[in-house]
Amino acid sequence: MPIMEIEGRVFEVDGDGFLSDPHLWNEDVARLIAQHDGITEMNEKHWAIVKFIRQNWEEKGLAPMIRSICQTTGIKLREIYQLFPLGPARGACRVAGLPKPDGCV
Amino acid sequence: MSHLSEEQEKALKILSELKDSQLLSHLNSCVHCGLCAESCMYYLATNDERFVPAVKVALVSSIYQRYCSFTGRSFPQLVNARELDDATQNEMVDLLFGSCTLCGRCTMHCSIGVDITYVTKVGRSMLAAMGLVPATLQSTVNAALQTGNNMAIPTDDFISTISWLEDELRDEVNDPQASIPLNQAGANVLYTLNPREPKFFPLSISAMAKIFYAAKESWTLSTHMYDVTNYAYFSCNFEEAALIAQRLYAEVENLQARRCVLAECGHGSRAFRWEAPNYLQHPFSFDVLTSVELLAEYIRDGRIRLDKEKNREIVTLHDPCNLVREGGIIDEQRYVLSHAATTLIEMTPHGVDNFCCGGGGGQLAMSEYGDRRMKIAELKADQIRRTGASTVVTPCHNCVDQLMQINNKFKLDVNIKTLGEIVADALVLE
Repeated sequence: MPIMEIEGRVFEVDGDGFLSDPHLWNEDVARLIAQHDGITEMNEKHWAIVKFIRQNWEEKGLAPMIRSICQTTGIKLREIYQLFPLGPARGACRVAGLPKPDGCV
Repeated sequence: MSHLSEEQEKALKILSELKDSQLLSHLNSCVHCGLCAESCMYYLATNDERFVPAVKVALVSSIYQRYCSFTGRSFPQLVNARELDDATQNEMVDLLFGSCTLCGRCTMHCSIGVDITYVTKVGRSMLAAMGLVPATLQSTVNAALQTGNNMAIPTDDFISTISWLEDELRDEVNDPQASIPLNQAGANVLYTLNPREPKFFPLSISAMAKIFYAAKESWTLSTHMYDVTNYAYFSCNFEEAALIAQRLYAEVENLQARRCVLAECGHGSRAFRWEAPNYLQHPFSFDVLTSVELLAEYIRDGRIRLDKEKNREIVTLHDPCNLVREGGIIDEQRYVLSHAATTLIEMTPHGVDNFCCGGGGGQLAMSEYGDRRMKIAELKADQIRRTGASTVVTPCHNCVDQLMQINNKFKLDVNIKTLGEIVADALVLE
């Protein structure tokens, strides 16, 4: 099992750096993963996106559609791509502690 | 001979029950010249001799020798024949799934024309018969088989996403009649999507919808079957690949569309346009073309008008392997770009000799080999950096995702767009 070490903390992850055990997630972990992707500070918009993704996954077992993320948070699509340069899947879903979604992401 | 399981017997039948001499020719012809080594991104990035493409051919050949040739059965050590045991199977998974993007570059460079990619796919199909497809790849195939699309998007979520995009389109073109039609029978074009578009990256859907609007095209999406991908092409389980291809085939017939237009998706184009008639054992009853060809046609026929001054930054083009090397679609994307942007700087090499993005062959889905995938990506990062481009265009959503990761990891600071997106940016609406 690959591991990811950020600031002295060690996490078991899959080969793409997604948490092996999504239940280990908390806001500190989210900050650390974000840092790993070069997001030095999580602002309000980052949190709004990540918390909505996390909540959707906890309730429905799936990452939400980008439409729901935009409409729930009120953040424009292009801005989401700027906030998470790796995109909603490898960027935001990873920070939210989800398993890697299937498909071309 | 050690006892073989039912799955192993099934895998070996792929080698023994041959319809023609194709496999034998390619298995027996390699002269071990080694020229393929430098064509392979895995070898170039690591200098690890295990990754030389000829080694992959030799591995499949050694199993053929062991079970299907007189000498190999009787005197295995004389012909390097190998048992199909755990060690061999693990090596097959590691080399054929874990260190090949099916990019086909080795086949192009082979001094005597061995179709190395084909042999690799035969090896993958043996692994599929034994249930040894990497779990992450099989999971994507299963999502498609069970839900009708490879990201398991529920139909109502798909419909509400399209409706949202339709509202945006109406604002964008300032026309309340503009639409993204769903399930319209008898349209000229049934357009397909990569599920990552509605799920996470819908700008490319908006771009194509705007282009269809400008071209006054009669088109539709299907809510029942819109997925252009076929990950069973990567797992090489051809029965599953045929099931997925049949669904799209049936939906084009069901909606009586004249043409099926494949979204910007390298392997999806390959798996449907060029492989589906083989999977399904019959020809198409409708036209099938890629959206790259459709865009070129719209420009050539004057159905859309572009102002390339709207895209004045330096652009480079990443060629998806399945379109250029496997499909021969090489000039069309360049013709389109010559009308959509002022400056195209080509990568070295490009066109049929281009390097894979590193995420082909199912690699993007296979987390098991994520480190290797990003290791070989250095080659692509260098290629892009040397062009000095600020925008990379590629007609493949899979390549887009890998390029986004390359952009982030190697700090290239480029924009990544599909061909449809850069065309939509240059559109002049009448």
